[in-house]
Amino acid sequence: MKLLIGQILPYITVTLFTLGVLYRLGRWVGPRIVHNITLSPWPKTNTEVAIRVGSEAFLFRNLFRFDKALWFGAIMMHLALLNIIGGHVVGFGFLGEQFALIPGLGISPELSTEMSDMLGTVFGILLFVALLYLLFRRLTLTPVKLVSKPSDNLWLIYLIVLVGVGNIMRLFHDFGVGYEQVRDYIVALALFQPVTHMELLNNGFFLTHYLLVQILLIVFPYSKLMHLFGMFAERWIVNRVYKDPAPGMPNIDVAAARRAGIGIPSDDAAEEGV
Amino acid sequence: MPEYKGMVQPVRATPDEMRKIFAEPVPDEQKPEKAIEYLDEIRKKFRSFVVAMESCVKCGQCAENCHTYLGTRDPNNIPANRAELIRKIYRRYFTLEGRWFGKLVGAEDISLDVIEQWYSYFYQCSQCRRCAHVCPFGIDTCEVTFIGRQLLHWLGITPKLHAAVGGAMEKVGNHTGLPKPGIVDTLEFMSEEIMDEFGVEVEFPVDKPDSDIIYIPSSADFLLNPYTLMGAGMFFTYIGANWCIPSNVTEAGNFGLLFDQYYTQRGNVNRLLNAAHELNAKKIVWGECGHGWRAAKMYVPSLADRPVRWPLTHVHDEAAELIRRGELKLNPENNPEPVTLHDPCNYVRACGLNDNMRTIMNAVTVDFREMNPHGVDNFCCGGGSGILFDDPEMYQRRIQLSQKKADQVRATGVGKDGNGILCAPCSICKAQLYPMVEEHELGVHVHGLIDLLAKALVWK
Repeated sequence: MKLLIGQILPYITVTLFTLGVLYRLGRWVGPRIVHNITLSPWPKTNTEVAIRVGSEAFLFRNLFRFDKALWFGAIMMHLALLNIIGGHVVGFGFLGEQFALIPGLGISPELSTEMSDMLGTVFGILLFVALLYLLFRRLTLTPVKLVSKPSDNLWLIYLIVLVGVGNIMRLFHDFGVGYEQVRDYIVALALFQPVTHMELLNNGFFLTHYLLVQILLIVFPYSKLMHLFGMFAERWIVNRVYKDPAPGMPNIDVAAARRAGIGIPSDDAAEEGV
Repeated sequence: MPEYKGMVQPVRATPDEMRKIFAEPVPDEQKPEKAIEYLDEIRKKFRSFVVAMESCVKCGQCAENCHTYLGTRDPNNIPANRAELIRKIYRRYFTLEGRWFGKLVGAEDISLDVIEQWYSYFYQCSQCRRCAHVCPFGIDTCEVTFIGRQLLHWLGITPKLHAAVGGAMEKVGNHTGLPKPGIVDTLEFMSEEIMDEFGVEVEFPVDKPDSDIIYIPSSADFLLNPYTLMGAGMFFTYIGANWCIPSNVTEAGNFGLLFDQYYTQRGNVNRLLNAAHELNAKKIVWGECGHGWRAAKMYVPSLADRPVRWPLTHVHDEAAELIRRGELKLNPENNPEPVTLHDPCNYVRACGLNDNMRTIMNAVTVDFREMNPHGVDNFCCGGGSGILFDDPEMYQRRIQLSQKKADQVRATGVGKDGNGILCAPCSICKAQLYPMVEEHELGVHVHGLIDLLAKALVWK
């Protein structure tokens, strides 16, 4: 088990994830944008495109405009997830002392570790609650229930379990792992050194959490999670710069036409018309 | 009987009618297999379709934002589910997850029943793009139903209405089957009408060589919306334009967009450009037609098969520009009735006409009241994409589809005294709303926007 999940599977996961995503993106690049289907009102410059797409990607503009409750749940979930992924990287990378590295703030390494612990705990719980809310929404709101497939609910449950195990490790120190253990493990993996002897891999919670993450990454390219990239691919099609052709018709002089009285019948013509 | 296993369906074109528009119907037993073959071909061409198939997370936001679902409460009319009708097949045949996990991810085998589902639901979609507008990712269900209708057309399933329109266009160059002598007669009659009603002398030149401008009216304006065509004539006369109507293309609409974006739509585009070429025109100005203006403005560049020498603008663009420059003398008192504006979906979400329509509206009326929501957020009239079917079942459906619009119009209060104007500057909107304002008893008359502009022109 330790050998499989800790030593062998990670390499397979990284390979399958990378190839899978590339395969999927390749499938999107082959077909072309045949007709111009940009949504109006159009952005007029690339800066406007960036603002539009950025506000959708990072602030969920449309959800905010049309469904505040969904916006709240979605942004909480994604914001917490983003921080947790970032936290995993810098937390393990700098052993929780990353905030001490920011010059001018005077944060001690001890304080930084405490801040790391606290932020991880807060975002972990937030993510867990937000996922529960999204699942609750999927199971109770009629229109959402009507569009859901079994896999939509299963993904949420899967994430709830994954995050739940992570939270147990964070909240109960007996079940947790140290920053240093994880860093040493990752370094060893990256250097293709044996890792099976490591203390870390004796922790059942860690193994479970780690296995769930790896399965998720392997399935990722074939799942709805691809919306991470799909969102940008779709926006690239429907939010593009478009410039209207200049208005104005050839050989038009309205003032001259009005002076000449075009369309106003002369007296004779007026009589004929009656 | 336009119903299949409980699903409403438009009356379909007979095999002979299909052959008139150069489509050979596929026998029923071959339809499922051919559908997969065509789908495979088309998915390799249209990125808009593939990304729509593979990116939806089923958040459900589109449901309450679709007038079709609001009017019918049919689960398959939720945009995400409407796209799912084709996505379940796409998953099953063209994705690994569909092949491995089947029902779990909503994959399903193709069958005649599925094809009949497509016919029912893709022809209830108005292709108004409101779902694309509200979708957090911008997924355009319109692209999905475009392609669904394309597949159906290749299988030989097209509504009688759409096929008839395609056939008439092929034959005479407009949807109503009006030949050139009829066009000239009608235009002469309109000149007389204008003289009687407005006391102004307006000529409608037809096929005049070396015209600076060719104006493409909706053919419905010859019969159903005469004031729109009369209005355009008055406008061009007022500004002293050297213009004409090309008898070969007296149709702003292009139903190819709505059922066959290959042969039919491309054919219509080339017919238009040939007419502009033959008359040596400098500019093409478009009349009031929503889908037609989208088909012209956004699709001519990709379907022309040649460099397009003629700038294309909408008559609203030109009128608004002249108003902004202060060149038109207008008296808004000529339109004293309370007015509300129905934004044609293609104008506001596909063609960027939002501001120009309001520039005109504010200049030519005194009591203009906006609907809620309006502009780019507006709801469709329920007839969008030419689903103006007249058989009893589909007609009932049209009343349901226009429910949201009726509620919106009522809320503005313009019809309270029975003299309100519902301005709907698009031929399909007009054709849908003429009967619908009666069905919903809204107390308004339906008009175009150029109608109102022409009424407000001060000639002396």
